[in-house]
Amino acid sequence: MASSRNEDDVDDKGENAEGKHPEGNLLNFEPETPVESMLVPTDNFDSFEQEAPPDPTALQGDDNLAECQKITRNSSETVAEDPEKNGTSRSMSELSLVSDDSSEPQHVDEEVSNNAEWRSQEKHVFILSSAGKPIYSRHGSEDKLVTLFGVMQALVSFIGDDGDTVRSIHTHGTLFVFLIKGPIILACVCKTRESVSQITVQLNYVYSQIVSVLTLEQLTRIYEQRRNYDLRRLLAGAERLVDHLLIALETQPALLLGAVQCLPLTSTTRDAITNTIVSCCNKIKNLVFAILVGGNQLVTLIRMRKFILHPADLHLILNLVNSSESFKAAESWTPICLPKFNSRGFLHAHVSYLAEDCQACLLLLTVDPDLFFPLSEAKQKIVEKLRRASLLQSINAALAHPGTPVSQLGVPEARHFLYKCKATAQFWGPVPAPPYQTSEGAKRLLDQYRVLHHRLHAPSQPLKLLYLQDHAETMLGWITTGFELYVAFEPLVTKANAIGAVNKILRWIKKDENGLFITNAPTF
Amino acid sequence: MSGADFKVVLLGSEDVGKTSLMKRYIQDKFQCRPHQNTIGAAFASKTVSTRGRQFVLGIWDTAGSERYYAMSQLYYRDAKAAIVCFDLTERVTFDRAKQWITELRNHEENCKIYLCGTKKDVVDDGIKASAVAHERVLQYSKGIGAVYMETSSKTGLNVAELFQLIADDCVLPSSNERNESIKLHSSKKSSSCCLAS
Repeated sequence: MASSRNEDDVDDKGENAEGKHPEGNLLNFEPETPVESMLVPTDNFDSFEQEAPPDPTALQGDDNLAECQKITRNSSETVAEDPEKNGTSRSMSELSLVSDDSSEPQHVDEEVSNNAEWRSQEKHVFILSSAGKPIYSRHGSEDKLVTLFGVMQALVSFIGDDGDTVRSIHTHGTLFVFLIKGPIILACVCKTRESVSQITVQLNYVYSQIVSVLTLEQLTRIYEQRRNYDLRRLLAGAERLVDHLLIALETQPALLLGAVQCLPLTSTTRDAITNTIVSCCNKIKNLVFAILVGGNQLVTLIRMRKFILHPADLHLILNLVNSSESFKAAESWTPICLPKFNSRGFLHAHVSYLAEDCQACLLLLTVDPDLFFPLSEAKQKIVEKLRRASLLQSINAALAHPGTPVSQLGVPEARHFLYKCKATAQFWGPVPAPPYQTSEGAKRLLDQYRVLHHRLHAPSQPLKLLYLQDHAETMLGWITTGFELYVAFEPLVTKANAIGAVNKILRWIKKDENGLFITNAPTF
Repeated sequence: MSGADFKVVLLGSEDVGKTSLMKRYIQDKFQCRPHQNTIGAAFASKTVSTRGRQFVLGIWDTAGSERYYAMSQLYYRDAKAAIVCFDLTERVTFDRAKQWITELRNHEENCKIYLCGTKKDVVDDGIKASAVAHERVLQYSKGIGAVYMETSSKTGLNVAELFQLIADDCVLPSSNERNESIKLHSSKKSSSCCLAS
């Protein structure tokens, strides 16, 4: 698919073949920019990617790594991607050959990794400690992959010894990406079309998930005390959170965009829900966030005046809710660390579904560990008031709504699109219609969006507008100061029609903006 | 506002069936695998009648995973009763139960302890043998002044009985507590105290 791709106009000015600036034909529908946002705006991919290099503060705990990091700082070239750069890199590329060809049969006999099914997986994610102890494997039992973990640890420490950091290894058809986070090494081996920076973002998410369960404080302390600690003891039961997160990363555009989707509600309904929660909670001290989610979408988010939530933290919260059936059974009181908010400590979350007959999940996050009963009482009041005002029905109706297909928008050329409002870190897209309604179709579409996203946000040459045509569809990506738009068209669409369709989409979004997005940032 | 008259906490290793025990008692339901481990702790309450009066038992079902041990005190603090669970077919869970009891004795002197051997049905059906001799557990529980019960959340064996016994015992005026008249207020008061602190 990639080879047959015909790239029409791909330059940073976004000029097409006729030398005409297509943006001139596009109407500008910048989203309403709120004075304040409840979510940290994620401008672009870069703000995520800043995390790609190892975090120096996180490294301080480990002597070896701290030393390694000192050298790294002195070394002028830390990216070992170009084999011609220096000796270290050359030795690395030799290693990559070894790991690619000869070492696997040697190490892997009689192990899971010899299994055809295991080998055919498109994407593997491994987590290990800097001492080489297995922590997690996406496929197969990590116990049976010990030797493979040994190889990964050897690779990382061999390159680390020379004061360099291994970030990625590129072989024919397979990409190896490493992320070193203090005492933890994360590695991804994939045969997908994702880029190094996209995979790095994903590994960062996985790392955040672990921090969210343990806090950075605890993670650092454990390895300071015992370098060869088996972290699986502490993570018991949390593997499913990582599994679930990796599936979400593979299947949901939200994490690619660094944005959340809101449950479509009229702004008066949403405001009424928000005000109900505020009225029941504003007397409670130390309540930091109240978050109502339903069907993996945000219903409302109320925050303490000083604080805003990062979308990456909200994704971890959604991941926790989506992967824990047990919250449906009883009121829970659970510690959760939100790494972007504060990686050092836990917030305490009162988690409960609104009612048997309303499957929206309310999370009340506080710093006070003794607040369970006041929060439990507040939640009862919230539910009573919402029920009296028939707002539970409104939420149920919105949750039961199958979603708007693109055909209802009157844009026949467009098959699907994603619109991200940058200032509020929210996005919206129609429900996938044929040919994307199947899981394979949806996967292919997301792959296309990934390619588009990567090209538009390429650190070396970011683009504003990109128009890609291949045999299956024509993709258009457009980034302005206010929004990002990614559209999949019929393969044979003309440029004029595509531009016309983009204008129609933007007009439609603008019209429904208040229902599709949360444009205010309510506080207690 | 404490939400309940008596606080009861469920403790024990992971996968011994604390959540199942609570589910059987509260909802009278049993769900076979797959069960997800509890995250943090879950709270549920149930009204029981004992000695002709109604009381609300507030039950905390804690997570068994090791990472929550550090904060378990948060959950068992001020508990009137603790059900320390172990899996009859897993020896290590009994050893862990003993550790829990030691910890409780050190931190919550007034908390009554109910040692609970779970998954009795597995032993009765001969699927797995009991890993700890019944007499030894009895002897141990007598030694520490705890009640010992064997339950099955699958069949419901002894589950309601266990909680009823706890309710009966909690209402009994004991030397450590003052008296019934305080009960209604005391639990409210004591917990609002701790909330303010």
